Amino acid sequence: MNGDESHARNLIEQACSAWRQRDRDGSIQDHPAWHDLSAAQRVEVFDATVALRRIEAALDPWGLSSTGRAVMARIMQ
Amino acid sequence: MTDHDLHLERIAAGDPRAFAAWVAAAEPRVRLSLSSFAARVDTEVVVQETLLRIWQVAPRFAPDGRPDGLIRLAVRIARNLAVTEVRRRRPELVDDAMLDEHAAAPVPPVDPPDGALRAAVERCLEALPTKPRQAIQARIAGAVERDRVLAENIGMKLNTFVQNVRRARLALTACLRKHGFPLGVVR
Repeated sequence: MNGDESHARNLIEQACSAWRQRDRDGSIQDHPAWHDLSAAQRVEVFDATVALRRIEAALDPWGLSSTGRAVMARIMQ
Repeated sequence: MTDHDLHLERIAAGDPRAFAAWVAAAEPRVRLSLSSFAARVDTEVVVQETLLRIWQVAPRFAPDGRPDGLIRLAVRIARNLAVTEVRRRRPELVDDAMLDEHAAAPVPPVDPPDGALRAAVERCLEALPTKPRQAIQARIAGAVERDRVLAENIGMKLNTFVQNVRRARLALTACLRKHGFPLGVVR
């Protein structure tokens, strides 16, 4: 695997996270890593995220994925 | 099949526990409804924004008598947000007929998580080597933290953390497939 492939794999993995930054007015921002990916790699992020969120939800007592917990954290602020 | 509008009254009254129960059911369907936008829009942003908007509009929502009205509304909001985002970014590439087709695509049903999946996930997690297991558990527990912070918390460099998350994710999905839980997207 060359350096570019390894870098792309790291970006894909980061973009699968539910963490997203918010700007000053509270608007949620795209993951910075997502913008550096090709169309095919973005689809890979989507597919991996679908599987990850099911795994996360299966482990959570409320059935919430990391996305669900991020949203709940936001409304409880 | 459960009608998740059963939570509506309590959600409209501002009950976060009712909303959490609805989010658990709605989120996978909202996400899958965005499958055709995956290459053009950061769908995680759209899913989170949609769920937050539902929390805001629920008190004004009037059910139409058909099941899962609030989930159907969420899917409409999500697709509209995605279309708006595509138009904003690359208007020269947008064909209205194509976007209408994306917006009207059917939403596949999603099986709710069950005890068997949970048990399989726990078994597969146990089978992971230590570092990948630490990394994926930190990522799962730290929904609202950026990876750099999660990595620091468990004493890993960011690159090492991300590589361990990837190793864990691939091993977990392969293990779950072997246990009869293929979690991938059907295209």
